[in-house]
Amino acid sequence: MVSGLSFSYPDKPGVLRDASLEVLPGERVGLIGPNGAGKTSFFLVICGVLKPDGGEILLFGEPMAHGDFRPEIGMVFQNPDDQLFCPSVRDDVAFGPQNLGLLKEEVEARVTEALSLAGMLELAGRPPHHLSGGEKRMVSIAGVLAMHPRLLIYDEPNANLDIRSRRRLIRFLQASKETVLIASHDLELILEVCDRVLLMDEGCIVADGNPRGLMGDVELMEAHGLERPHSLVPHAEPHHEWETRRQGDKKTRRQGDKKTRRQGDKETRSNRKTQP
Amino acid sequence: MHIPDGILPAAVSVAGYATTGAATWYSLRRINRKENPQESIPRASLLTAAFFVASWIHIPIPPTSVHLVLNGLLGAVLGYYAFPAILIGLFFQAVMFQHGGLTTLGVNATVMGVPALLAYHVFRLRNVVVRRGDPGDRPHQVWTGVFGFLAGSGGLGISALMALILLITTVPAHLDVEVERASVYALAVAHIPLMVLEGIFTALVVLFLQRVRPELLED
Amino acid sequence: MKLGLDEHAHLDSPLHHWETRYKLVGLMVLIFAFSFVQDLRLLPAMLVVTFALYSVSRLPLSYLLTRLRAPGFFLLIVAVLLPFLSGSTVILRIGSLALRQEGCLDLLLIVTKFVSILTTGLVLFGTAPFLAIIKAMRALGLPPVLADMTLLSYRYLYEIGDDLETMETAMGLRGFRARRSGRGGHKAMPLLGVLASLAGTILVRSYEQSERVYKAMVLRGYGHSPRPRDEFQACPRDVVGLGGVLVLAAGFVAAEIFFRRFGG
Repeated sequence: MVSGLSFSYPDKPGVLRDASLEVLPGERVGLIGPNGAGKTSFFLVICGVLKPDGGEILLFGEPMAHGDFRPEIGMVFQNPDDQLFCPSVRDDVAFGPQNLGLLKEEVEARVTEALSLAGMLELAGRPPHHLSGGEKRMVSIAGVLAMHPRLLIYDEPNANLDIRSRRRLIRFLQASKETVLIASHDLELILEVCDRVLLMDEGCIVADGNPRGLMGDVELMEAHGLERPHSLVPHAEPHHEWETRRQGDKKTRRQGDKKTRRQGDKETRSNRKTQP
Repeated sequence: MHIPDGILPAAVSVAGYATTGAATWYSLRRINRKENPQESIPRASLLTAAFFVASWIHIPIPPTSVHLVLNGLLGAVLGYYAFPAILIGLFFQAVMFQHGGLTTLGVNATVMGVPALLAYHVFRLRNVVVRRGDPGDRPHQVWTGVFGFLAGSGGLGISALMALILLITTVPAHLDVEVERASVYALAVAHIPLMVLEGIFTALVVLFLQRVRPELLED
Repeated sequence: MKLGLDEHAHLDSPLHHWETRYKLVGLMVLIFAFSFVQDLRLLPAMLVVTFALYSVSRLPLSYLLTRLRAPGFFLLIVAVLLPFLSGSTVILRIGSLALRQEGCLDLLLIVTKFVSILTTGLVLFGTAPFLAIIKAMRALGLPPVLADMTLLSYRYLYEIGDDLETMETAMGLRGFRARRSGRGGHKAMPLLGVLASLAGTILVRSYEQSERVYKAMVLRGYGHSPRPRDEFQACPRDVVGLGGVLVLAAGFVAAEIFFRRFGG
């Protein structure tokens, strides 16, 4: 089954310029880029909330128009307070299923299921302002999960999370079965969770490829206001998994990506083989 | 303007609920006539909460400090949503702080809400006087300020007047005429500086909004 | 930020367990019955009923006392003025001031009604979570627009209040004190200007947040199908309770009418 999201469009003064993307089911795609690159707008257009000036969107084979309500796609907002708008956790998670027109028992079942998945079942009766940042985040995810989406979009999911909550989030994302699209400044998180990465800048998708390869390209990252994530920086004492693995491994794992090229680097050690 | 329980006769309280019911019905009708009323519900709700919070800002006037009513500003910003907003705000105040009565909720909402709607129309008059041009130019700013002042001071003034008339005509007290007259004058006069203060404050806030987020002031 | 809601909403008493819709109707009718009373002979009965209700509710007395403080200020003014200004039958002279009978009696009436209504109101709104109360009102017929607005405002009230506190703290750290009266050499207009900007900022931020909230609501289907009414389950005890309270209220009203018609 092809779940093609293919479109190209320009938006208000070049917020999104001819951005195209195709995502296959089950993929976990990361989206990185500097602030103002248009990531959030991009998501909102895909979800049918913002109207694009041009281009088209195909969601699971069906065209998506502005204003459509498609529960197969769910978005988790950057600020959970924007999304937790009901006075209690239970009501908030029930909001989506209720709007789907489900019966009361079905709604209850979905709420319980979503809250258990997110690990937030004990907090069902609480008001949102009594929750911590991490709890709010997981509850907002539960609220989206309750609609049983097939594609989940996360906009900066780990903003303002403490370490423990962040780890919980990462584990949760790694275990998710849906197709996932994550925008984040936390490059390590993207490395841990995603199997494909897009780099977006000034409304265009500038690069698309393997996380390790794309994000390891120092020149590319810095040209777009980013940095190479720490774990990809080769160290004098190799302590990252890929480094220790590389010691015995002759092949690199870059696939079909012309833009990332490894630079001459003072720290490269003799037993690493590179391929142009 | 927050008339507490226990003073007004029950008939007046019930009549107050009736007028508030009518005004709410009317406001909801005007709201539903807009093309997408649902879209403005979150905006009106959060602004209701914001106004509620904003009314906690003290203005220090030695020797004490004053809380503003801001019903004129509410009218200018929320339009017909001002009436439900005031009703909800008063309900919160009655239940959370026991400020204002439960039986008098209807009366208070009418006394504060109707002038807010009037203030809305007064504020809209600025569109008659100045064309919707560049919000940065002087005439536009001046007129916005003027009408903001009128809306703010008028909102408070009419509320106070309504409350006063209501109290005088319905409270069963055996005051002799002279005392009554004197106290009415005293109360009326005391409200004049408050009206000026509300007017100025409303004008300042309206000018701020005009500069920062003019859409808040548009219909 | 504390708003003093739901502090004692989870205690265990017959009033806490009374189904919220019935409680709302019953106690509001009782409150209006109290407000109907003008005859002084009914005042003791009113107080007895009120305090009986309060003790059954198991709400702590301290709760009542703290809640009486703020509006009590207004009462104080009335208490000071009325006995000296209202009426013509003088019962006591203190210097040049004359304590008048009608004034004292009016005062008694007003204060008793006020305290009774406020206490009953506390019983009504203090024995159930605020959210349950709003839902009960919605189930009783509150228009959906109002119900949605109330829920949303309630939800964001705390956050916006916290924002205000944060901003005031930040202002204070930069040397601005909004609550000092007179000291610090603040001139009137700049002071007002700063406070107006503060108010304006809160409004703008709430407005911007509301746009994001609206998008989140739409994404989860807001407006797509009508919102379901919450189901409240009533048991016979609730109905009996309602019946009892209505009878009580009717009793007060009847007594009042009787006294008015037949004097005394």
